[in-house]
Amino acid sequence: MSDPALLSLAQAARAVRERRVSPAELLEACQARISLWQPRINAFVAREPSPTHRAGGPLSGVPLAHKDMFYRAGRVSNCGAKIRRGWVAGETSAALERLDAAGAVQIGSLNMSEFAYGPTGHNEHFGDCRNPWNRDYIAGGSSSGSGAAVAARLVYGALGSDTGGSVRLPAAACGVSGLKTTWGRVSRYGAMPLAASLDTIGPLARTAGDCALILDAIAGHDPRDPLSARESVPEHAALLDRPPSFKVALSSAWIERHADPEVAAAVLAAAGVMRASGATLAEVDAPDFDTLSAHCLVVMQAEASAQHAQWMRERPGDYSSVVRARLEAGYAIPATTYLEVLRLRAAWLERFCSETLAGADFYLVPAVAVRIPTLAETGPQGGADMPRLLAEVTRLSRWVNYLGVPALVVPCGFDSRGLPIAAQLVGRPFAEATLLAAGHAFQRATDWHQRIPA
Amino acid sequence: VTATKRWKGDAIEAAAAAQGIALAPGRAERLAHGQQALLEASAADRLRASLAFEAEPAGFLLAIERCKTG
Repeated sequence: MSDPALLSLAQAARAVRERRVSPAELLEACQARISLWQPRINAFVAREPSPTHRAGGPLSGVPLAHKDMFYRAGRVSNCGAKIRRGWVAGETSAALERLDAAGAVQIGSLNMSEFAYGPTGHNEHFGDCRNPWNRDYIAGGSSSGSGAAVAARLVYGALGSDTGGSVRLPAAACGVSGLKTTWGRVSRYGAMPLAASLDTIGPLARTAGDCALILDAIAGHDPRDPLSARESVPEHAALLDRPPSFKVALSSAWIERHADPEVAAAVLAAAGVMRASGATLAEVDAPDFDTLSAHCLVVMQAEASAQHAQWMRERPGDYSSVVRARLEAGYAIPATTYLEVLRLRAAWLERFCSETLAGADFYLVPAVAVRIPTLAETGPQGGADMPRLLAEVTRLSRWVNYLGVPALVVPCGFDSRGLPIAAQLVGRPFAEATLLAAGHAFQRATDWHQRIPA
Repeated sequence: VTATKRWKGDAIEAAAAAQGIALAPGRAERLAHGQQALLEASAADRLRASLAFEAEPAGFLLAIERCKTG
């Protein structure tokens, strides 16, 4: 077998089941790539010295690593923060417990934005995570190490969290598949909180099918998470091969007018691929992204600042300047505004489903409307244009969190500088199976997801 | 949409101080500018005018249930 690290998760799991490769060989292949790539991209913050796994599950022997905010009893979870550096968790997160039960091997913990509160992957405490396609560019955040590690084929998949785009932005920037799950679909028990009304957990992996395998392991009700949904869980991986006759809503005029021309061309070409595969396209008015994004930010700021209030009173100097500023902003959100925005949420979700989706299976839009920016442009020394650029990066991600709906990001091209471009498929609540099947169909017709950074 | 009073740096500083939070030096005016823009963008929501008096935040859970099938 050629380098087993280059297999997809589905292929690796099948190879283990059929005894064509051993878990030890998969681990060795991943470790060889980590040795090569870690000095270049800083995706890992810790490596498991002696990984073990439960034999026999659907992910038996497959090496994964996760954002450093999923707690494991007795192990350090730094959360990308000086304040949490060296903190030892007392319990294991529900998501890790379920991956353990599925036989997956956790081989390390991955870099992330401080307290998951940043969209780029900068981190002054643990070092910036860098994009494997070009080290000068952002890996996206806040699940930066998850995106970079999967793209560089250091692991077969990774968990991330998504409060305003933190699974989808690194997936888009690094050219991998990433699933933002429906709010409540995956238990948040034992995962670091940021903003309870928005927080979700989801996979980043090489293909939509790989995301389905991870989702099958982690989804479902958990009484330890008070917001965990009781909705039944389909077998997402078993539903991937449905006929690709999807109904796709999109707003071509908005994309052409507001997205970077290279991004627009790639996403509209992706729509063309879907149509050629049997989908029907319907032009619809674009959602009011900017109002929904503002609502998301109101909720995020108020809840994150409340979550961090004690540390902000007692040790504000232990936050990076950028994260401290984001948290400071939340103390100026009026409680009445916060609650009014939450009261509006149901009406906006119903409007999205009835008017934007109408009879469609999903809404197609770029994951990021602009080309992926550099670390320098978006870092602490980014200059006067930095806030505007960060707002552009997150313009098409936050609205999805406000609505609580699922969204799948898949690579759909590269820009003229060699950085990935990604499409985002946004669906109804609990429509992950539809999104994953559509992503799978798209990836059967394209090879963007098979490109590997050199 | 009702016009809102503009946030000033000293008001941001006072709001934070009332909650026991000390802003980083020189931060207040920049935060005021950013929060003004955010709150205006949120307040410009056209749906506010038609929001039912009885609407409550937890209604979102019921909306998820209603919207989950096409």
